[in-house]
Amino acid sequence: MSDVIAQRTLARSAPIVAMPPKLRTINLTRHFVRGGDAGLTVFQDLSVDVANLEFVAIIGPSGCGKSTFLRILNGLDQADSGTIEIDGRRVSGPGAGRAMVFQGFDLFPWRTTLENVAFGLEMQGRSKRERLDIARHYIELVGLTGFAQSYPHQLSGGMQQRVGIARALAVRPDILLMDEPFGALDLQTRDLLQDELLRIWQSDPKTVLFVTHSIEEAIYLADRIIVFSPRPARIQRDIRVPFLRPRSEELKTSAEFLAIRREIWCLLKHGVDVGGPQAAG
Amino acid sequence: MSSTTRLALRLTGLALFLLVWELVGRHLGDALMAPPSAVARELVALAEDDQARATIWQSIAPALVGFAIACAVGMPLGAVMGRSPIWNALLHPWVSTFVVTSVAAIVPILILLIGTGWWFVVAVVVLSSVWYVTLTTYQGAVRIERRWLDVGRSFGASRIRAFRTIMLPALFPYLLAGARIGLTHAIRSMVLAQLFIVSGIGGLLNEAGMDVSTARLLALLVVIMGIGLAASHGLGRVADWLAPWQRGLEPQR
Ligand SMILES: Nc1ncnc2c1ncn2[C@@H]1O[C@H](COP(=O)(O)OP(=O)(O)OP(=O)(O)O)[C@@H](O)[C@H]1O
Ligand SMILES: [Mg+2]
Repeated sequence: MSDVIAQRTLARSAPIVAMPPKLRTINLTRHFVRGGDAGLTVFQDLSVDVANLEFVAIIGPSGCGKSTFLRILNGLDQADSGTIEIDGRRVSGPGAGRAMVFQGFDLFPWRTTLENVAFGLEMQGRSKRERLDIARHYIELVGLTGFAQSYPHQLSGGMQQRVGIARALAVRPDILLMDEPFGALDLQTRDLLQDELLRIWQSDPKTVLFVTHSIEEAIYLADRIIVFSPRPARIQRDIRVPFLRPRSEELKTSAEFLAIRREIWCLLKHGVDVGGPQAAG
Repeated sequence: MSSTTRLALRLTGLALFLLVWELVGRHLGDALMAPPSAVARELVALAEDDQARATIWQSIAPALVGFAIACAVGMPLGAVMGRSPIWNALLHPWVSTFVVTSVAAIVPILILLIGTGWWFVVAVVVLSSVWYVTLTTYQGAVRIERRWLDVGRSFGASRIRAFRTIMLPALFPYLLAGARIGLTHAIRSMVLAQLFIVSGIGGLLNEAGMDVSTARLLALLVVIMGIGLAASHGLGRVADWLAPWQRGLEPQR
């Protein structure tokens, strides 16, 4: 915690006129080579700036490269060209203050909740006592006290995703990457977890990149929504969400909310119309 | 099905089997098929016969050594085949060929190569069980999910840590299943090998085959079945104890 603060103070006192954004991608391009044909350009020259502690939702048609984008940011995949900067420093490979919450929860079935949450800390080589203490704290934070010794198959989908979130939070990342974290959950659980996520995020703010298919979810959670176009993805629209926090469910029926919702809906629909024949070709 | 019902059904099955055997045995006579009552008497005699007991124990030793070698070779081999397409392309055809080849067919060559001593039994045991260990481990290694390895990389796991914390636990159920199948084959082939060279349990079987009564032969058969069952069941227990997470995942046995 204290080193994060130190880092921020350092960045502030550094002789840079404008503070660099928390996360910046410059001309990121990813091209998958496939035997025979010309291959597949998922996105080209994608440049995004994300401010510190900003909650950014990414939305776009299926297959446009949202997961690929997040995987590259996480270091699980490599861009073919372009750079990623965190706090103005170029990064490559995993680690360095980023943690991912995966869509399928992807817990290890052989580990209990406690051991799953402690996984990232274990990979960092923290001592057993330290990592179990931290893990217990985050298990409590996501509301799973009492399930620390359960195996994933003994938990519901919503509880498993809470474990996934706790696992990512436990390494105390600056940047939290979430790839459709609630995509596999039913609507009620989803609503519940959205509020939980906001609560956790407000008590422990970090920069969040949140991929979703749900327009409502994006507006409800985010400060800013980036709408991707169909493949090859580019930024079709960058929308600032004006609502104050803390937000509540009633927001979802307000006129302004619905207006943003319609705007994004039209963008996505339009995108699909344009992308159809292009994707087929 | 509740566990008591299952137990009751199993015991009923066993009782019916023994009853039919007893009836058929009495009808055919000891020379063709001794009834369970005669076999039971012979089992008691075997248990009291120090020398027979020692022979049986000594027979098991080469089977265990062979089994250990089969695991030590088969597990890494299967894991490498499952993770490396190159090694798989190179080795898989051979492993699949050997697994369908009866070891009995290679016995003459083995006898020429290493004679008929203790190591002969070990060699037969290894050659008949190692393929099962290899192929089962291979199946597990192929099934290690990419998303698990991704989680590891995402949290910055080094290769060694990823191996220890992801690959090994993911493989574990398959290692144990492989060990179990391998052990069964090890014990089966142990008897076969000893029959060829007339030693150990094979020697006892051979001797018993010359008796007028089949009671001793059948008693030995029961002993062999018992060893096989105990070994397989014991390993299953070890598996449950070492890997408690998969008890809830498996269909009920
Ligand atoms: N390893 C890979 N090799 C080849 N092509 C890939 C690979 N990974 C992704 N792709 C392709 O890249 C494109 C983008 O995939 P990606 O998973 O990033 O889409 P997405 O926007 O997350 O879609 P969804 O919303 O359905 O999750 C897809 O067409 C996919 O087929
Ligand atoms: Mg995706």
